[in-house]
Amino acid sequence: MSAVVSSIRNPLVTGNKSYHDITEDLCAPTEKAPGLQWVIGFILAITLFSFGAFCIIWTIWMGIGSWNLNRTINWGWDITNFVWWIGIGHAGTLISAILLLFRQKWRTGVNRAAEAMTIFAVMCAGLFPLIHMGRLWLAFFIFPYPNTRGPLWVNFNSPLLWDVFAISTYFTVSLLFWYTGLVPDFATVRDRASGVRKKIYNTLSFGWTGSAKHWQRWEYLSLVLAGIATPLVLSVHTIVSFDFATSVIPGWHTTIFPPYFVAGAIFSGFAMVLTLMLVARKVLNLKDYITVEHIESMNKIILLTGSIVGVAYLTELFVAWYSVYPYEQFAFFNRALGPYYWSYWGMMICNVITPQLFWSKKMRTSVFWTFFLSIIINVGMWFERFVIIATTLARDYIPSSWSYYVPTWVEIGIFIGTIGLFFVLFLIFTRVAPVVAIAEIKSILKSSGDQYVGKDAKHHSHPQPASAYDDSNGFLQYWDGNDSSHDSITILKSVSGEATSVVAEPTVLKASLKDDLKKVEGIGPKIEGLLNAAGINTFVDLANASVESIQGILNAAGSRYSTHNPGTWGRQAQMAADGKWDELKAWQDILDGGKE
Amino acid sequence: MAHTHNHSTKIDFTFPAGAKSLLLGGIALGVICLALTFFMFDDALHTRFWTNYLHNTVFFTGIAFMSLFIYCAFTTAYAGWHTVMKRVWESYSQFLIVGLILMLPLVAGVFLHWHHLYHWTDTSLMDPANPEYDHILAGKSGFLNKYWYGFGTVIILGVYVLFANRLRSLSIKEDENGTSDWSYHQKMRNWAAAFLPIAGFTSAALIWQWVMSIDAHWYSTMFAWYATASWGCAAFALTILTLIYLKSLGYFENMTDEHLHDLGKYLFAFSIFWTYLWFSQFMLIWYSNNGEETTYFYTRVHQYPVLWYANLAVNFLLPFFVLMRNSTKRKYGTLVFTSILVLIGHWWDYFMMIKPGALHTAHEALGHGHHGDHAEGHHDAAAHGADHAADHGAEALTHVANNTEDIAHAVEHASTFEAGFTLPGLLELGTMLGFLSLFLYVALNQLTKAKLEPQKDPYYEESLHHHV
Repeated sequence: MSAVVSSIRNPLVTGNKSYHDITEDLCAPTEKAPGLQWVIGFILAITLFSFGAFCIIWTIWMGIGSWNLNRTINWGWDITNFVWWIGIGHAGTLISAILLLFRQKWRTGVNRAAEAMTIFAVMCAGLFPLIHMGRLWLAFFIFPYPNTRGPLWVNFNSPLLWDVFAISTYFTVSLLFWYTGLVPDFATVRDRASGVRKKIYNTLSFGWTGSAKHWQRWEYLSLVLAGIATPLVLSVHTIVSFDFATSVIPGWHTTIFPPYFVAGAIFSGFAMVLTLMLVARKVLNLKDYITVEHIESMNKIILLTGSIVGVAYLTELFVAWYSVYPYEQFAFFNRALGPYYWSYWGMMICNVITPQLFWSKKMRTSVFWTFFLSIIINVGMWFERFVIIATTLARDYIPSSWSYYVPTWVEIGIFIGTIGLFFVLFLIFTRVAPVVAIAEIKSILKSSGDQYVGKDAKHHSHPQPASAYDDSNGFLQYWDGNDSSHDSITILKSVSGEATSVVAEPTVLKASLKDDLKKVEGIGPKIEGLLNAAGINTFVDLANASVESIQGILNAAGSRYSTHNPGTWGRQAQMAADGKWDELKAWQDILDGGKE
Repeated sequence: MAHTHNHSTKIDFTFPAGAKSLLLGGIALGVICLALTFFMFDDALHTRFWTNYLHNTVFFTGIAFMSLFIYCAFTTAYAGWHTVMKRVWESYSQFLIVGLILMLPLVAGVFLHWHHLYHWTDTSLMDPANPEYDHILAGKSGFLNKYWYGFGTVIILGVYVLFANRLRSLSIKEDENGTSDWSYHQKMRNWAAAFLPIAGFTSAALIWQWVMSIDAHWYSTMFAWYATASWGCAAFALTILTLIYLKSLGYFENMTDEHLHDLGKYLFAFSIFWTYLWFSQFMLIWYSNNGEETTYFYTRVHQYPVLWYANLAVNFLLPFFVLMRNSTKRKYGTLVFTSILVLIGHWWDYFMMIKPGALHTAHEALGHGHHGDHAEGHHDAAAHGADHAADHGAEALTHVANNTEDIAHAVEHASTFEAGFTLPGLLELGTMLGFLSLFLYVALNQLTKAKLEPQKDPYYEESLHHHV
C-alpha cells in the first residue's frame, strides 16, 4: 500500500489519537461494568429470544401444523427469514475480504463488528431449515453419512443439500477469520487484566506474545482465510438463489438470480451493519473510530448495491414481458398488481427508491437519516424474499388451489425470537471483545489519523516518499517526515500488541518518547526505572550509551544492581531499534540472562 | 520497496511513425477483408459480412464503454493507484464516438432491410393475418423494432459519448489549471458517479438489442451482465497490452510492476467473474431443462463444439491457472501472452453469441426461398410446443410438426462446415485486426493530445508510490 496519502482524503481516525488512546478507548467497553442502556437492551433481547424459543418448542411439540403452510404454500415466513438472515450474514466477510482487496481503509473501523454480525446472522438463519423440518431430531438426515436405513441417501442433485454444505463451510471459515483477527486484541485485553480474567483472555489469545513471528504467521493466516472467504461469500448466496432458480417455477427460474442475490445480500448486510454500528458508536463512544466518513462510505455501497438490485428487478420485470411466456408474465403481473401488491411495492420503494436519497451528501452524512434508511432497507429486503416466496407459491399453476397466506403467531414469534437471539449475541460480544479491531486501527493511524490527513492535519503535506515504505507484514513502519531534520521514528508493537513507542512529531513529543527497555534481556522493571531516571528512555538512547556509563548507573544504585552485567544491552538495544526482532530473539535464546 | 520516481518522465506522447503506418495498414486490411467477404464469400443476404461487421463493432465499442465504466468506478471509489495510467482509459473511451458512427450502417440496415441479421426485422411475421404469424415475435415487437434499435443505439451511445468527452476535457483542464483545491477532480467525481447508474440501466438495453435479439425467441435475464463482463475482461487485457507497449517505448516510467500486478489481479478477477456468470447462466438453464431455453446452448455445444470448449479453456482455465500466482502478474512476458489470448478469447465469445443465431436466421430465410416464409417461428424444441399445447390445442400440433423439420435443419447444420460461422476464418481474423487497428489508432492518437500522466490529479503522488 502506498505510504503517500493524498490530501484529498478524509481522516478515518479522529480526535488526534495516540496508539495508547486507541488501546484505552477500544478496551474500555470490555473493562467497565455495563451501562444502563446495555442492560435494558439485553433484557429486551433476552425477552424476545425467550418468546422465540417458546414458539420453537411449540412448533416441535404441536407439529409443523401450527404454521399456516399447506401443500401449495410449502415455504412461508420460515424460508423468507432464512434467506433474509443469510443475506445479512454477507457483509462481514465482504468488508473483511473484498474491501481489503480493494484497499478501502475504512473497513478497519467496522470489520470486527460486521464479522461478528455475520456469524450471529448465519446462526439465526441456520435455525429455520432445521425447524422447518418439523422433526428436529431427524436433522442428521441432511448429512450424507453411511446408513443402515437401506438405500436412503441425501439427494446430491438438490440445491437444498448444496446449501447445507455451503452454509456450514461459510460459517466455519467466517468464524475462523473472525477469531484470528481477535487473537492479538484478546492479548491486549489480557495484558491489562488481572486474576481470572487475565487467565481467560490468555487462553483466548492462545498465549500471544506479539513476537515478530506471531505477527508474521497471523498476517499469513489472515491472508489465506481472506482468500478462501472471498469465493465462499459468493457461493453461499449463489446457492441460496439456486434453491429457487433451478426450479421451473415462473418468477423463480431466472438466470440473473445468482449475482442479483449476492448484490442483495451485500445490500442488506451493510444496512444491518449501519443499524448496529450507529447505535454502538453512540453507546460505546466510538465516534472517533466509526466516523462520518465511514458512514458515508457504507452509504455509497448501499446506493451502489441498491441500484444493482434495482437493475435486476427491472431486468426480471422486463424480460418476463419480453419472454412472451404467459406464466412468467403472469407471475410478475401478480407480484405487482396481485393480492400481495403491498409487498412488491414495499420492496421497490424500500430497496430501490429510498436508497437513491443517498445521492445527496447531506443525506448520506446524516446519522439520523442513515439510521432511518438502514431500517427501511432491512424491511425492504425482507419484503423481497417474501415477494419471491409467497406471491409465487400462493398462486401456482392451478387456480383452484390459490389462496392467501398469512403467518400464525408461532411463525411471527420465531422470527421475533431470532431477532432477540441476534441482539443477545451481539450485546454479549460488545462486552467481551473489542468491537473495533485495535491492531487494525493502529495500522492505519499514520495514514488516516486526523493529525496526518484532512483539514485539521498538523503534519502538513504528504510525507516525502524518498525512504518511506511499509513492509509487507505491516507491523513495523518507518516513517520519514516531510522535514528532513526529523529522525526516522520506529513504531513497534510490544508484547501486548500495544505500541509502546508512540511518536507523532519528535520535537513535540520527545519527552514522552519511550521504548519498552524490558525487551532487552537482563533488564527488568527496576533497572528500566533506573535507566529512565538517568535519561535513557529509548532503544536508541540505550544503544548509544557506553557500557561503562550504564555500569556506573547500576553501581550507583547499590550492590543489588552492581552485579548485573550490561555488556550486551547496547547491542540488543541496537537490534531492537533497527527492528531486527528475529535476530534479537535468536540471540536472546543463546544469551544467559542477558550475559554472553 | 523504495521506488525511484522520475517527475520529469516522458509525458508527451508522440505517435511513432512506424506504429502509425502499421495501424493504417491494419485498417486497410480490415476494409479489404470486409469487402472480400461481401463480394466473394457470402450468401445472398451477406450474412457473413454483416455478422463480422456487427461482431467487431459491438466488441470494440464495448471495450471503450467498459473502459469508461471502470474509469468512473475507480474515480468514485477513491481508488488512486491507477492514476498514473488513467489517460489510457480516457483515450479508450474516446472510441465511443467511432463506435456510434460504426453502428449507423447497422441501424440504417434495420430501417432499409440491408441485412437480415435479426429475425424480428421481418415485420410481416407480426401480422396475425399472415399464415406464418409468429406470436412470440409479435409479443416482443414493442421492443424489437427498428425505432428502439435505431433511437436506442444513437441516444444511449450518444449519452456515453457525452460523458466520455466531459470527463476527458475536465481531466485535461485539470492538467492546465488544477490547484490543490482539487475543484476539477470534484467535478469529475460528480460526472463519474452519475455515469455509473446510467451505464448500469442502459447497457442492458443495448446488449439485448444488438446481440440477444439475434436469437429472437430466446431470452435470459443474465445475458446482459454476462456480455458486459466479457467486455470488461477484454478491456483489462487490452489495457495491459497497450501499457506494456508504451512502456517498451520508454513512456510510463512511473508505472511499475506494482501497477501491472494490480491490473493482472483485475484481469484475473474479471475472468473469474465472467466464469461465474457463465456458469450461473448455463447451469440454471441446463438444470431446468426447458426446451425454450436449452435450445441456445444445445445448438452451441453440439454444432459448434470447438467454439464452445475453446471459449471456456481460453477465458477461464488459462487466466485462472496462469494468473493465480503472484509472480506471473509481475512478468511482462506472461502478462502479454495471457492478455493476448484473453482478448482473442472474449472476441471469440462474442463470435459465439452472434454467429450461430444469425446463421440460423439466414438459413431459414434462404432455405424457404423468400423473406416472408419462416418456419423459424417454430424453431424451439419440442418442449415449447408441448408447453403451448394446453393453450392452443391444435396449433401446438403444428409446432411439433415443424419441430421435426427443425431437427432436420439442426442435423444439416451439424454436418456442414460453414466458413466464417463454424469457426472464425482468415477473413474474420483480418476484419478483427482491422477493427483493432482502428481502435488503437484512435486511442494512441488521443494520447498525443494530452500529457500521458495527469500530474495534477490529487492521487498522482499516491499512484507513483503505489506498492502492492
